Amino acid sequence: MALLEVSGLSVSYGRVAALNDVSLTVREGEIVTVLGANGAGKSTLLRAILGAVPAKAGGVTFAGEDVSREPPHARIARGLCLVPEGRRILISLSVEENLLLGAHMRRDTEAVRREMDAIYGRFPNLAERRKMLASCLSGGEQQMLAIGRAMMARPRLMMLDEPSLGLSPLFVSKLFALIRELNAEGLSVLLVEQNTTKALAVAHGATVLELGRVIMAGDPKALAADPRLQEAYLGEGAAAPAPY
Amino acid sequence: MLLQQLVNGLMLGAIYMLVAVAFTIAIGVLNFLNFSLPGLFMLGGMLAFGMMKLGWPWFLAFAGALFVAALVSLIVERFAYRPMQGSDPEVPLVSSLGFLVLLENLMLIRYGSDQQPFPALMPDMNLRIGEVVIGIAQLVSLGISVALVAWLSWFLAATNAGRRIRTVAESRETALLMGIDIRSLVPALFVASALLAALGGILFAVNYQQVSPFMGEGIGFKGVAAMIVGGMGSIWGAVVGGLLIGLAEVLSISMLGADVVNITVYGLLLLILIVRPQGLMGRPATREKL
Repeated sequence: MALLEVSGLSVSYGRVAALNDVSLTVREGEIVTVLGANGAGKSTLLRAILGAVPAKAGGVTFAGEDVSREPPHARIARGLCLVPEGRRILISLSVEENLLLGAHMRRDTEAVRREMDAIYGRFPNLAERRKMLASCLSGGEQQMLAIGRAMMARPRLMMLDEPSLGLSPLFVSKLFALIRELNAEGLSVLLVEQNTTKALAVAHGATVLELGRVIMAGDPKALAADPRLQEAYLGEGAAAPAPY
Repeated sequence: MLLQQLVNGLMLGAIYMLVAVAFTIAIGVLNFLNFSLPGLFMLGGMLAFGMMKLGWPWFLAFAGALFVAALVSLIVERFAYRPMQGSDPEVPLVSSLGFLVLLENLMLIRYGSDQQPFPALMPDMNLRIGEVVIGIAQLVSLGISVALVAWLSWFLAATNAGRRIRTVAESRETALLMGIDIRSLVPALFVASALLAALGGILFAVNYQQVSPFMGEGIGFKGVAAMIVGGMGSIWGAVVGGLLIGLAEVLSISMLGADVVNITVYGLLLLILIVRPQGLMGRPATREKL
């Protein structure tokens, strides 16, 4: 069953078109990755799905309901959430307060406590620093906190915007293992990534954007072998293989 | 005698404190120096006076004055703040200053420009501790102010709504992505700061038994000074700043004479700005607020 259905979505910033007629589907339990060079419109796509930027045309259906006209807080209440680019940890709040902020719309205090303890169990580094300001965390820990914060909203679909950006190779591996683990527990994932190889390796479906349009979509294994994917990053006729 | 002056200074400082906290909420969360707040302070005192003059019991008059102040603050939000979202922060500052002038002149038309005597609510009830005399009304005001600010500080630190407010204070963009409904939060903050300012005005009227259409100006600007002294955007900074300005004012009246009050108060402000530009409890040049 399709959990998220984006159909014909277009977004403009002033007179500049950022997204043009983009469609994609995430089925329940899937990891779908969105690839593309800088400026291809990947972040805009995630923001438009959340409702944080207005769509000029097209619609978003989540869990069978048309949410196109709903503001972000209503969509998040339905189980959609975003781990934003650059993590956007709140540095004037403590680690624990950042986690609680993720659950700010929930009233089931006891379940929130239990789930927070589960997140501390998963990320012992966060548990050790729970009372410290979030600005004290390393980049990798901040990414774990951003994901933990998103989990506190009890999402059905988690959108991650370039989560591996700026992380050490060790943390990148941990991150992708975590994404697999969460997915195995039933979470659906829409993943925007620069690390094409790793993203295609975990994904069940993939879409490639170029200048705000979908240029390729389908099976990640087939896409990984397609020379046009490298062209989307490096420009027409690029022959050199990707660095990794 | 010095002890008596210290007590009086703290009582006055409690009122500055309420105004300073109102300012600090507006600037700390909304980045908006809301100059309608002195007007709302005055509205609290003047309307409580007006309604009691109509024969209303004091508690109804106070509730009515607070209600009207909250309502006016929503109008300020709608017309001075919301349409100016995309512009420089100075633009809503000036339009809110317009509201201050408007409110003052509306009260001027209704009640005239003279000082009006505010009826004594708790006549001749004083506590005597040795040489020091403490009016019950003063003590009650101090208690209410401190309790309210302590509650507010707890609310911001320990509730979901408080965390939402602190998130908006740090980054509106992040708040939006976290599903915080900024459009309903902003009017709520305007109401909260209006209630603090108007309550300050009512307590001022009760303590000093006089009101006038221009009572907000001097106090409003000292409230701003108190906020800056304490550190902009810090609640406890506003508390410290308010009490400090109140003490400085009362002590300089008794020791140096009434003529130099403003020199002392604003001299203190200048001194603190030179020595510690971020204010006593402010954090230097970060995004951290409240």
